[in-house]
Amino acid sequence: MRTERREGERAAQYQNLLGLMGEPHGDRAAAPDALIKAIRMRSVMNCHRLAEAYRETSKVAYVSEQFPTEVVFAAGAMPWNIESMAIMLAQSVDVNRIFQLTQEKGLSRDICSFLRGPHGMMLANCYPTPDVVLTNDQPCEGLAKQMCLAGKRFDVPVIAMNTPESFDEDAIGYVARQIERMRERMAAELGLEGSSESLQRAVAFSNDAREYYRKTVALLETHKLPGISRELQEIFGMNYFGARENVTLCKALYQAAAELAKAAPGGGKRVIWIGQVPEETHELLRHMSREVEILYWAPLWNANLRSLDETRSLHSIAERAILYHWNAERMSVELERICDRFSVEGFVIVNVWGCRNIAGISPMLRDFAARRKIKHITINVDLVDRNNYAFNHVKNRVDAFLELMQ
Amino acid sequence: MNTATHVQDAIRDVVDLHRNRFELLRARPEPKLGYVSIHTPEEILLAAGAIPFRITGEQAYTNDAAARLSANYCSYVLSCLSEGMDGVHDFADGVVFVNGCDMRKRLCEAWACDVPGHSAYYLDLPGDATDLSKAYFASQLHKLIATLERRYDRKIVHDALGRAIETCNRSRALVQELDRHARSGRRVLSGGETIGVVKAATTGLKDAFNERAAALLGALNTADSLPQRRPHRVMICGSYFDHQGIIDTIEETGAEAICADISNGAKYFEGRVDPDAEPVAAIAAYYLDKHTSARRLDTDVRMRHMLELVRAYGVDSVIYYVLKFCDTNLHEYPYILQRLQAEKIPVLFIEGERNATNIAGTRTRIQTFLEPLIT
Repeated sequence: MRTERREGERAAQYQNLLGLMGEPHGDRAAAPDALIKAIRMRSVMNCHRLAEAYRETSKVAYVSEQFPTEVVFAAGAMPWNIESMAIMLAQSVDVNRIFQLTQEKGLSRDICSFLRGPHGMMLANCYPTPDVVLTNDQPCEGLAKQMCLAGKRFDVPVIAMNTPESFDEDAIGYVARQIERMRERMAAELGLEGSSESLQRAVAFSNDAREYYRKTVALLETHKLPGISRELQEIFGMNYFGARENVTLCKALYQAAAELAKAAPGGGKRVIWIGQVPEETHELLRHMSREVEILYWAPLWNANLRSLDETRSLHSIAERAILYHWNAERMSVELERICDRFSVEGFVIVNVWGCRNIAGISPMLRDFAARRKIKHITINVDLVDRNNYAFNHVKNRVDAFLELMQ
Repeated sequence: MNTATHVQDAIRDVVDLHRNRFELLRARPEPKLGYVSIHTPEEILLAAGAIPFRITGEQAYTNDAAARLSANYCSYVLSCLSEGMDGVHDFADGVVFVNGCDMRKRLCEAWACDVPGHSAYYLDLPGDATDLSKAYFASQLHKLIATLERRYDRKIVHDALGRAIETCNRSRALVQELDRHARSGRRVLSGGETIGVVKAATTGLKDAFNERAAALLGALNTADSLPQRRPHRVMICGSYFDHQGIIDTIEETGAEAICADISNGAKYFEGRVDPDAEPVAAIAAYYLDKHTSARRLDTDVRMRHMLELVRAYGVDSVIYYVLKFCDTNLHEYPYILQRLQAEKIPVLFIEGERNATNIAGTRTRIQTFLEPLIT
C-alpha cells in the first residue's frame, strides 16, 4: 500500500485540470436577479472545495454519487464525487482527448460517459490523488466498480459498502453496521478519526441544510420559480450535506426562492426531466426551457427530503441510502407524489447512452405516464461524450413533444 | 463396444439432460422454479420440494424483450426475458432473481410485469463475503424460506435442507472429479461438452444428473486410454458464455478451449456447502465465498481466482469474452488485461451476443490470435 504522495503531485494535477478545462463551450444561462446570490455562492463554494482538494495537506476521499458524506465530513476529510465532476468535463472543449485516452486503455465506449469521463480524468492525471476511496453501489454497479478500480490505480485503501434494494430492518441494520465498520477502518488505517461528536455535528449540519432544502422544494410545489429546480439539482449533485457551508448555501437558495415566490412569475407547463442531467447551458435545456418549465426529478425524491434522526444517525443514514436505490415499485410511488404535488404535465425520459438503469426502468415510467395521461418523450442522448449524440438528431422529436405540450 | 464409444455415449447421456430438459421438467409433478444466476441457493428451493432450473436464454429472437427493456441491454438478459414473455417456461411456478447485476434487477421488475402467472422472488447479493454480508445474505435466505413455506404449504426443516445440501454437494463432487482430468492434463471433454455437462447439472434434475455423471466417471475409469491435452490451452473468461461456434473456432485451430472461468464452468461447481454447519448459514457462506464474478466489488478476488485457474489448467492464453453491454465485465477489462499481461499471458478481447450467428469476424480474430501462439 502506498503511504506517501510525491511532493507537488496534487499541484501538478490541479494545473492539468485547469489546462484541460480551458474555455467552456457553453454560454452562461440567464438567471433571475433574486437567484444570482445563491448561484454565486455555489460557484465560490465549488471553486473553494475544488482548490482545497488539490492542497497537499488535504485528506481527500473519493466518494460515489449518493454516498453519505456526513461520514466523510465527520472524519475531517473532503469528499470528491468522481461522477459529478464528469459534468464539468462536459463543458470542456477538450473532452475528446479524455475519451480517446480511455479507449487507448481498453475501456469500452458502451460504458456510460459519466463513468468513462472520470476514468479519463484519472488517466490524464487531472484528479487529485485520493487518500481513500469510499463507495457504495449507488446509483449503479458501474460507478462502484469504477471507484474500486480507482483505489487500485492510486494504490490507496478502498472501503466499499453494499446497499441492498430491500427496505426492511435487516437491510437497514446491515448498511448501518457497514458504515460503522467503515468509520472504524478509516480511523484505524488512515487516522481519520470521526468521533461520535463530530458525526453528530455533521448530521446536525446536514439536517439544517435539509430543512432549507425542503422548504425550497415546498415553494416549488405552489409556485413556478425559474432556476430554482436547477439549483436544487446542483446541490443534490454536489452532495455536500454534512458541511457547515452547505447550510448557508441552502439557506441562500431558500431566501431566493421565497423572494421569487413573492413576484409569482409565470412559466410554461411543467415537465420533469427524468434521468441524468446535463450542464446547465446544454442546448437541449435551453431549447426546451423556451416552451416549458423543467423540473429535475432526482432532487424531489423522498430520500432527498428526509431529515436524519440525530439519536440514531447511522440507522437513519442507512434508510436514506436504501431509498436512493433504483427500484421500479418505489419510484412509481414517488412519481405519483411528485406528479400530484408539482402539477406535472409531461415527462422527458432521458436515456443516456450506457445507463442501464434508466433504460430498464423506462417501461415503468412510460406505463405510469400512459395511466396518468401524462405526455411523455424518451430521448436517447449522451450528455458528456458528444461523439454519441447530436442535437439535430433529437430536435425533431423534442419539437413534436413541445407542440403536444401546448 | 469399445471404451471410447462407451465414454462418448455416457457424455451424451449427461448432456441430453439439458437438451431434453423442458420435456423432462414438464413430466415431473413438483413445482419448478427458474433462476438466472448461479448464486441462487438451489438447496433451499430443493428443500421446499421444488425443482430449481437455470434459465439459459437460448432464444435468439429478442425484439419484444428489447422493446420492453432496451436494445442496449445484455443479450443474455434479453434472451431470458424473451423466453419468459413467450411462455417457454410455462411449466414453471416462478423465478428467483439474485441481484447478479443491475440489468438482472431490472429483469426481475420486467418479469413481474410481463410474464403473467409467474411469481418473481428477489434476493440481494452482497458484493463481498464479510461476516456482515454473510449474516445479511442468510437473513434473506430465511425470508425466502418463509415465503416458500407459505407458497407450498410445507415446513422447510433442517433435515430437508441437509438432504438438499447432500444432493447438491454430490453433483459438485462428481463434476469436480470429471474436472480433475482436465486439470491433470487429459482432455476427456471438449469445451462444448464441459459446458454441456455443467448445463445438465443446472437443469435441477439432480438425481438423474448424479446418476448419469457417476456412470460417465465409471466409463472414464474403465477406458483404455484417455486423450492427452492439446499443445495450447485457451481459457475463456468473462460474461455468460455458451457459444458453440466460438468453441469450435478455437478447437479447429488445434487449441483447447478451457471453459472454466465462466458461470457454465468451474464457477458453478467449485467448493461445497459445509454439511456439518447450521444449514442456512452454511449455504449463505458458500454462495458468497465462491463468488468471483465481475459483480464482486474487489476485482482482485476475481483476479486471484482467474490466475489460480490459469495455473491449475496449464492455460497458455485467455479470451476475455464479454456480452455487449455487460458493464461490470467491460469496466474490469483494462485492469484484468494489465494483470494478465504482467503474467505474460496473451489476451484477446471479444465482444459478442448470446445467440449471435454471424461470427465470421470473430472467427478471423480468434484464428489470427491463436495462429502465432500455436505454431
